[in-house]
Amino acid sequence: MTDTSVAKRYAQALFTTAKRHDVIASVEDDLAAIANLLKNDAAFRDFLFSPKVSRDEKVQIIDKLFSDRVTILTMYLLRLLLTKRRETEIEGIREEYEALRRGHAKAVLVTFSSAEELPDDQRKKLVEKTKKLTGRVVEPVFLVEPMLMGGVKIEYEDVLLDGTVRGNLEKLRERLRYDLFKNA
Amino acid sequence: MKRIRSKQAGSATTTTIAVVAGLILLVVGGTVLKDVQPQVLQGVDLNLGLTVANIGVMLIAIPVLLKLFIAPLTESIHQRTASLEATFTEAENLKKEMAELRTSYEARLAQTEAEAREQIQAQIREAQSLRSTLMAEASARADELVKKAEIEIEAEKARALAEIRSHVVDLTLNATERLIGQNVDTKTNRKLVDEFIDNVAVTNA
Repeated sequence: MTDTSVAKRYAQALFTTAKRHDVIASVEDDLAAIANLLKNDAAFRDFLFSPKVSRDEKVQIIDKLFSDRVTILTMYLLRLLLTKRRETEIEGIREEYEALRRGHAKAVLVTFSSAEELPDDQRKKLVEKTKKLTGRVVEPVFLVEPMLMGGVKIEYEDVLLDGTVRGNLEKLRERLRYDLFKNA
Repeated sequence: MKRIRSKQAGSATTTTIAVVAGLILLVVGGTVLKDVQPQVLQGVDLNLGLTVANIGVMLIAIPVLLKLFIAPLTESIHQRTASLEATFTEAENLKKEMAELRTSYEARLAQTEAEAREQIQAQIREAQSLRSTLMAEASARADELVKKAEIEIEAEKARALAEIRSHVVDLTLNATERLIGQNVDTKTNRKLVDEFIDNVAVTNA
């Protein structure tokens, strides 16, 4: 179970150090790679989170695996997490680190969901439009969700701009129910 | 008691006089008239000295007899009479007391009967009052249940109507969704996205 406050503290310290040494992007890539490995490699995840494997053993193996693939700062973070038995916080630290990096770069993570794969020109238009709306650098993520039927949905932070057929049908459904019950 | 005492005193005097007279006659008859010759009167031999002596003996004997036998007997008879009188008096008193007690008991019985009747009447009145109260409560409760049932029926009706309306909305929109789904192709989708890009604006989500 991850503890957001713990992840925030580690992420803040990591980001401050990465910024000082100008390795923000490299550390982010390292964290993304490790998180991806944890997500997709069950054996690696079981090994890392196993309470039966000693801390020293974990540190040795992680050293062998990552010492020549990640930055020194990331390696130091991994050793620290293993020593403090905070290895389960890696994913949380990555998310918090990305949030800090976006805040620093005045960027915003925007998810564009559509029923079909969008062509490049529309993707560019959407990114430009969102950039104008937010006034920040847009980091787009494009998702395909056939159940949306048509149109596109934009989500960032706590904002939702729903231009999908499904969304409009749901709005219509709610409106009809509201009117029916109101007039009942 | 005074009368008895005076009577006893008088009797003692008389007795004394009689004894004295008897002794005198006995002595006179036995001594003075001892030698008087007996005479025959109307065929009966009469010895004056013996007769006088006998009279003296009689005068002595009668008071003694009276004193020794008659008086205790009379006293005993008097006591018995008094005892009987007392017994009768006591019996009369008891009878009177019994009569009074009977009267008292009859009065108490009558009073008890009256009280019992009054209590029965009171209990009947209380039972009638209780019956009225219970009937009123039952009636109120029945009214309340009827009202509650009516409210529940209304609520159930409203809920059923709401469900039907909701169902109608779902059916309508599902049909619409199918129709739209059949008509949205890539070209339409692109057009929808373009329109959205042109018209989108940030609102409070």
